Amino acid sequence: MTPEIEVRNLNFYYAGGVKTLKDINMTIYKNQVTALIGPSGCGKTTLLRCFNRMHDLYAGNRYEGEIIFQGQNILSKDTDLIELRSKIGMVFQKPTPFPMSIFENIAYGLKLRGIKKRGELKDRVEKALKDAALWEEVKDKLNTNAFGLSGGQQQRLCIARALAVEPEIILFDEPTSALDPISTGKIEELIISLKGRVTIIIVTHNMQQAARISDWTGFMMLGELIEYDKTDRIFTVPSNKLTEDYITGRFG
Amino acid sequence: MQKQRGKLKDLIFLSITAVSAFAVIAISIGIFLVLFKESLPSMNKFGFEGFIFSTEWDPVKEIFGATPALIGTLITSFFSLILATPIAIGIAIFITEIAPNFLKSIIGTAIELLAAIPSIIYGMWGLFTLAPIMANDIEPFLQSTIGKLPLIGKLFEGTPLGVDLFTASIILSIMIIPFTASIARDSFNLTPSVLKESAYAIGATKWEVVKDIVLPYSKLGVLGGIGLSLGRALGETMAVAFVLGNLNQIPKSLLDPAATVTVKLANEFTEADKDIYLSSLYYLALLLFLMSFTILALAKIFLLKAERK
Amino acid sequence: MILNKRKIISSIALFICFLTACWGIFWLSFILVDVIRHGLSGINPDLFLKDPAPPGEEGGGLRNAFVGHFLITLFATLIGVPIGILGGTFLAEYGRKYNISKIISTLADIMVSVPAIIIGAFIYAIIVKPFGHFSGWAGAIALGIIMIPTVVRTTENMLSLIPWTLREAAFALGAPYYKVIIQVVYRGAATGILTGIILAIARVTGEAAPLLFTAFNNNYFSLNMSQPIASLTVTIFQYAMGPYEEWHAQAWGAALIITLFILFATITGRLLIKRRYKE
Repeated sequence: MTPEIEVRNLNFYYAGGVKTLKDINMTIYKNQVTALIGPSGCGKTTLLRCFNRMHDLYAGNRYEGEIIFQGQNILSKDTDLIELRSKIGMVFQKPTPFPMSIFENIAYGLKLRGIKKRGELKDRVEKALKDAALWEEVKDKLNTNAFGLSGGQQQRLCIARALAVEPEIILFDEPTSALDPISTGKIEELIISLKGRVTIIIVTHNMQQAARISDWTGFMMLGELIEYDKTDRIFTVPSNKLTEDYITGRFG
Repeated sequence: MQKQRGKLKDLIFLSITAVSAFAVIAISIGIFLVLFKESLPSMNKFGFEGFIFSTEWDPVKEIFGATPALIGTLITSFFSLILATPIAIGIAIFITEIAPNFLKSIIGTAIELLAAIPSIIYGMWGLFTLAPIMANDIEPFLQSTIGKLPLIGKLFEGTPLGVDLFTASIILSIMIIPFTASIARDSFNLTPSVLKESAYAIGATKWEVVKDIVLPYSKLGVLGGIGLSLGRALGETMAVAFVLGNLNQIPKSLLDPAATVTVKLANEFTEADKDIYLSSLYYLALLLFLMSFTILALAKIFLLKAERK
Repeated sequence: MILNKRKIISSIALFICFLTACWGIFWLSFILVDVIRHGLSGINPDLFLKDPAPPGEEGGGLRNAFVGHFLITLFATLIGVPIGILGGTFLAEYGRKYNISKIISTLADIMVSVPAIIIGAFIYAIIVKPFGHFSGWAGAIALGIIMIPTVVRTTENMLSLIPWTLREAAFALGAPYYKVIIQVVYRGAATGILTGIILAIARVTGEAAPLLFTAFNNNYFSLNMSQPIASLTVTIFQYAMGPYEEWHAQAWGAALIITLFILFATITGRLLIKRRYKE
């Protein structure tokens, strides 16, 4: 297994000085699925949003420590955020189709990267939609507005949109929490099918989901990474009492 | 007993508030009916097309036509809209997406003060300060640059007087910037931040996020704001009255003096010594009322749709 | 390569947005500085204490216009504000479930922006013509009508910000609806409604168009609202368009006073509302 990301002594403060992440250390492995679990408010989404520096969109947030990706500390001031974000994609809690057609939604990221040829765009949009298992459902209405799709379809569209630009990593922030069980199943299958091609970090409130789809699991509480190990170990022989209490449902 | 009295008082209060609310409807309909009634003599004499497509406005011969005033109103309104809209949208983008927090409220307040300055002040300032600058510097400069171009050059022919359509439109554009800007700002703020984050997350630059996500998402609201500004521009009186010259002619260039519906009303209403003269002014007022009401209603519909989204 | 190009385009576009903001600020400062500069030279005690001298003669002031303007605005407020508040109360309280309230609300929004000169023409037809002469009352009614839709809308908005549970708590004590509104809802929304009134007054204070053929003008001092009465705004129009330097100076002085009053009122209103509704 090759390490993809090294997190070293990461602290994070929201504007106003609240310390939300405390001394996080972890290694994310390439082309594996890593799940972050923990009670709400534990900082798992905050950690996820550090990987693509989403916190920089709002004034006053502050990082300490290092996140090493491709030999660079991405928390450094010199990091080109636009370049970083084109290598690390993200899928959000609620589906976020852009106000444009299905085709344009996927093509958008490609166009930003300078791909203008209609033929190439078409091919890559089709490939992304197939990878996201959405092609069959939308191939006849590519030019209709993306808001017309169902919630589950919209979310797969967002995954296709992230896949289209061939990122190294995709961050998932509770991608199924707004979806029904059937759509959730489809998204989980999709994530599993992506394993081995792209590194996935997923935040989930659903422990079964973490157990089903992830290779590695990190359990967080009150801004600390309590335990981080292979998923089957976390769910069978957790080494920390807090982890055990959480996964057996004693709190949460 | 006590309860009965309470109920009665409640009914009385209800009735008073209801009557007050319906006053809004009564006033609106009342305005329409009164303007209509007062313009009847002129309508009967000149008809609809005979009025709006006639260029003559001669109180002595008692012949009245609306074309010059209507054209003046349309030119100043649309030209000012063309000048104001990009600037207003730029300001809204600056306030919502670019400015640091402390600047947000300062600039926001400054722009709203622009809307608070009364139109008579704009007019007076326009006449005494802006018009001479336009006549001496800006208009000659434009004539020697853009004025040399084919087609567009035609718009800047004539003697630069400063009291003309161009100056009036500039002043109007400054006056309507705040209306478009504040509505555009509110609409931009309605764009869900997670949608913007999604665009940033695939590596869009700030401008790309604004252009491809925020603007398309809020276009209904922005259109509503533009409509509201157009409605304001159509009906603006005093600011234009100072710097337009009230000359009843069809302008050939932006540097010509002209008249608008409002300027005609402001200048001639109290001079109208004959019934048909006054009635023709009412006819103009009615047309203005219908135009601005329609535009404002459309703008309002856009804004309501934008809110519902 | 392409990334750099995109970043440069972005920076340029954002810089242009910054320039548009400067454009707005530039005109605001230009106008304000100009009004202050000219206005200060036009202000002297005579401006407030003396009535106009005959045209072309030195001296004189605008006492008549200051007083007349105050009277017109005062009575306009007395007409417009109660009707506006009560109407807004209906929309937010008794009538909130009816479609007609939404229609009135929308209509009021439109009427806020309808040209003020139209209101002047309307009043001319229904008041000035039947009575046979211009009058302060006609001017006050015209401005009052202009105030109504603004006050209706702000009142409605401010009342609907009061949480419904607050009303329920009062109902639970057995209070009839009108008492709940007057004693509970109005009290909660007082700052907001006051702001609405201030802003509405600020707006009509600067109106000239609807006064041109209602209150008209009067070169003499008068407190009689049944007769033509002078106002600052109409006087500014007349003086600024007139031929005498003396008139221009006085018009600038009046313009400065009006501008300062309106800016003061607007800023006060904004601060009030900010303090009240700061999350």
